[in-house]
Amino acid sequence: MTDFQQQALTIAAQQQSPAWLAPLRSQAANEWRNVIWPTRKTEHWKYTSLASLQKTLLSLVNTSAANTDWKSEVEFIDVNAIRLVFVNGVFDAANSSNFSENIVRFSQANSAQQKIIEQYLGKVVEGSQHLFATLNSAWLDDGILVHVPRNQTLDQPIYVVQVSTLGEQTLSVNQRLLVVLEDSAQAELIEHFVSTSEQQNSVVNALAEIVVGDNAQLQHYRLNLEEENIQHIGAVHVNLLRNARFRGFTLALGSKLKRIDYQINHRGQGAELNLQGVYLPRNNQMVDYHSNVQHWVPHCTTSEVFRGIIADSAQAIFNGRIYIHKDAQKTLAELSNKNLLTSNKAEINTKPELEIYADDVKCAHGATVSQLNDTALYYLQSRGVSRNEAEVMMSFGFINELLQQIAEPAVHHYLLPRLAKLFGRDQTLLEMADE
Amino acid sequence: MSEQVEELIRKEYAAGFSTDIISETLPPGLNEDVIRFISGKKNEPDWLLEWRLKAYHAWLEMTEPEWAHVKYDDIDFQKVSFYSAPKSMDDKPKSLAEVDPELLRTYEKLGIPLHEQAALAGVAMDVVFDSVSVVTTFREKLLEVGVIFCSISEAVHKYPELVKKYIGSVVPQKDNYYAALNCAVFSDGSFVYIPKGVRCPMELSTYFRINEQNTGQFERTLIIADEGSHVSYLEGCTAPMRDENQLHAAVVELIALDNAEIKYSTVQNWYPGNEEGKGGIYNFVTKRGVCHTNAKISWTQVETGSAVTWKYPSCILRGDNSVGEFYSVALTNNYQQADTGTKMIHIGKNTRSTIISKGISAGKSSNAYRGLVRMNPGADGARNYTQCDSLLIGDKCGAHTFPYIESRNPSAVIEHEATTSKVSDDQLFLCQQRGLDAEKAVSMIVNGFCREVFKELPMEFAVEAGKLLEVSLEGSVG
Repeated sequence: MTDFQQQALTIAAQQQSPAWLAPLRSQAANEWRNVIWPTRKTEHWKYTSLASLQKTLLSLVNTSAANTDWKSEVEFIDVNAIRLVFVNGVFDAANSSNFSENIVRFSQANSAQQKIIEQYLGKVVEGSQHLFATLNSAWLDDGILVHVPRNQTLDQPIYVVQVSTLGEQTLSVNQRLLVVLEDSAQAELIEHFVSTSEQQNSVVNALAEIVVGDNAQLQHYRLNLEEENIQHIGAVHVNLLRNARFRGFTLALGSKLKRIDYQINHRGQGAELNLQGVYLPRNNQMVDYHSNVQHWVPHCTTSEVFRGIIADSAQAIFNGRIYIHKDAQKTLAELSNKNLLTSNKAEINTKPELEIYADDVKCAHGATVSQLNDTALYYLQSRGVSRNEAEVMMSFGFINELLQQIAEPAVHHYLLPRLAKLFGRDQTLLEMADE
Repeated sequence: MSEQVEELIRKEYAAGFSTDIISETLPPGLNEDVIRFISGKKNEPDWLLEWRLKAYHAWLEMTEPEWAHVKYDDIDFQKVSFYSAPKSMDDKPKSLAEVDPELLRTYEKLGIPLHEQAALAGVAMDVVFDSVSVVTTFREKLLEVGVIFCSISEAVHKYPELVKKYIGSVVPQKDNYYAALNCAVFSDGSFVYIPKGVRCPMELSTYFRINEQNTGQFERTLIIADEGSHVSYLEGCTAPMRDENQLHAAVVELIALDNAEIKYSTVQNWYPGNEEGKGGIYNFVTKRGVCHTNAKISWTQVETGSAVTWKYPSCILRGDNSVGEFYSVALTNNYQQADTGTKMIHIGKNTRSTIISKGISAGKSSNAYRGLVRMNPGADGARNYTQCDSLLIGDKCGAHTFPYIESRNPSAVIEHEATTSKVSDDQLFLCQQRGLDAEKAVSMIVNGFCREVFKELPMEFAVEAGKLLEVSLEGSVG
C-alpha cells in the first residue's frame, strides 16, 4: 500500500457520515486497500503521473472554518437555477437556493430517498480500473441526490458549484452526485468547479453517477475552471437506458493534476450520446481526458468531439475509447479529436481507440495535431489583421465551433468572456464570436 | 450461401505437409550451453558469443509483454528446440543441382519452382530451410556490382567489421523480450550490404520455411544500404501443417544511410492453426529501420498466416527529410489473432511518414492495429498521415484500433483516420446483380479494399498476395 492510500484511509476513518452509508464506505475502504497503484506502465495512466498526489499531505476539511473571502473572486453563472454551493467541499447554505423536492443531500434524505440512493449508488461505476471512484465511496460522508420521477420535467436547471479557496492546509474534497431520471423525465445539470486565484494543491475527487431512464433526457455540463495547484480527479459515469438521450459538454482549464473520466454505458436500445469537450491547458499545467463509451446493445448512437489548445509548457492527454460489444449491431459511433499546439514546449498525447466485436456497425474516429495554418494566418494578415490578433482569432475560432453548440445560453455567456480573456483578447472578439 | 461459406472455411491449408530430412536437432531447452553450442556450431568469433550471452542474461530478467490484444497459452521455453539444420550442411551445394532433391520438391509443392522463379523473375533466392541457408543463387552476379547478399553466419566471418558495427544498432539486445531471445539464440538469416551509390540490379528475396516439429526459428536479418543506394527486399513465408504451436521470433534491422532507400516487402502465410484454433505458428517479430538524412524506408506487409501475430515494423526517422512508409494488409480467420501496426518516430526535421493499414477479420478471429506516431521536439515541419480501415466479416470476430499519437512539436502535423464497417450489402448486391456469385463479389470487394497496399508490392508478390487473400477469405462472408 502506498503512502497516499494509507493517508486516504486515515482520513476516511476520521470522517463522520450517516450510519446507513457505513456498509458502502467500509466495502470501498477495503477495496481501496487492495487497489493496484497506477504507474507509468498502467495503460490508463500512461501519460499522467500521480507523483504530485503521492507527495500531498492531506487533511480533513474543517467544517466550521468556511471563509467568505472567495466571494469577490468567484462569479456564478447567471442562470435561473437551483443552486448548490460548496466551499472546499462544505455546503454553503447562505449562497445556495432552496432545494426543490427533487434534490436532497444524502445526510438529510428521508427513508424513501435513502432507498433510491441505496438502489443506485455505486452501481453505475463498473470495473476495478476506476480506483478514484472507489476512493470517492470510501470518503463518502455526504452527497447530492437528484431524482426526477416519471414523466416529470424540471423547470429549472440544477447548478452545483464547488469552490476551492486558500485554506490553512491541503484539503481533501469529496463530491458525490447521484442523478436518477426515471422514464421520460427531463433535466439539466451544471457542474461548475472553480477556484480563487490562490489555492493549495488540494485534492478534489468529484464523482457523478447518472442514470437516464427510458426515453429520458439529460443535458449535462461539467466546467472545470480551477487552475494551477488544484489536483482534480473527476469522473462522470452514465447509464443510458432505452431511447435515453444524454447531451454533454465539458470544458477544462489545466492545473497541476487534472484527470476527468467519462464512462458511458449504452444499456438500452436506441440510446443516444452526444458529448463535446474542450481543454485549454497552459503554463505548466496538464489536462487528461479519458472517455470510454460502451455499446452493450444494438441501435445506439455515439457522437463525440473533443478539441484542445495546448500552450506554453502544458501537456494534454486524450484517450477516447469506443467499445462495441458482441451483440451491439447497427451501432453508429463517431469520435473526433483535434489538437492545436501553440508552443515548442507543449505536448499532446492522444489515443482514439476502437474495439469492435460486432460486424454490422459503422464506426470511425479521427485525430489531428497541428499548429495554426500559415496560409490562413497570411490571409488574415494581408487583410490588415496583426499576426498576434490573427492567431488569437483562429485559435478562438477553433474551439468556438463547439462553444456555439452549447444549448444553455447562460453557460455560453458565462464562458465566452472568460475564454476571450484567456486568449488575451477583449470585447471585440466577443462580439465576433457572439454573432 | 452459408453452405459455400462452410465449405470454404473448411478448406485445408494448402501448404500443409512436412519434409523428411534428417536434421541435426538440439534437445529442447535453453541454457548457456545451448547458446555455446549454437555459437560453436557456427564457428563464431568470441565477441559474438559474448554478445549472445549478454542478451541471454538480459532475457532471463525480462518478462513476456502482456499489453498486446492477443491470448495464448504460456510458452514453455524449455520445451522448444533452439537449433536444427538440414544434415547435408557440411558440403553446401553451390548450385541448384546440388540441392537435396527432397527439399526442392517441398518448394515445388508450394508452387514455387525455385529455378524457374529465379530465372523468370530474375530473383536471387536466399533460401532458409529451417535455420541454415542452404542455397544462395545469383551471388556472383550481385558481387559484380558489389552487393553482398549472404547468410548472416557467413557475413560474420567474411565481413565482421560490418556486422559488428550494425548488429543490434537498431534493435538493441534488451529492446523487448522476444528480441532479446532472438539475440541469444538466432540461428541464421540474411545479410545484405549495398555499397555507395549502387542500385541493386534485382529484387532480393528470401523464403523462410519452418520445418522441424517443435523447432523455434530465430532468423536475424540485417540490411545495410550505404549512401545513395537502393534495394528492394522480399520476404515470403509458408510453413507445413503442425499440431503443436511453433515459436517464431525474428529480428529484422534495416539501416538506410544518407540518401539511401530500402523497400521491404513481406508476404506471411504461416500455418494459422486449424478451424478449432489448434496449432499454428506464434509469430513474435521485431522489425525496425533507421533512416538517415534524406533516406527512405518502406515496409509493405501482407499478413494472412500465423495463429498469433505480434509485429510492428517501425521506422526511426533520424535524419532530416527522411521518409517512412508502412503499408499493411492483415487478414485473420477462424481463431487467428493479430496485433500488428507500426511505430513512426520522427526525430529529424521535415520527416514524413505514411501509414496505411487494412485489417480484415473473419470467423472468430481478432485483429488489432496498434501504432505509434511520435513527433520529437526537434521534428520541425514533420508530417504524418495515418489511415486504418477495418472490414468485419461475420459477427463473431473483433476489429480493434489502438493508435498512440504523441506530439511535442507545434509545427508537426499529424492526421489520423480510422473506420470500421462490414462489407456493404449494396456493393454485394450490385456485384451479384451483374452476374458474379457472392463469393467472387466479396473477393473483389476485399481486393479493392486492399488495393492501396497491394499496389506497393512488387509485381510477383502482388499477384501472390491477391491469390492468398482469396484463398484465406473466400466464402467466409455470409
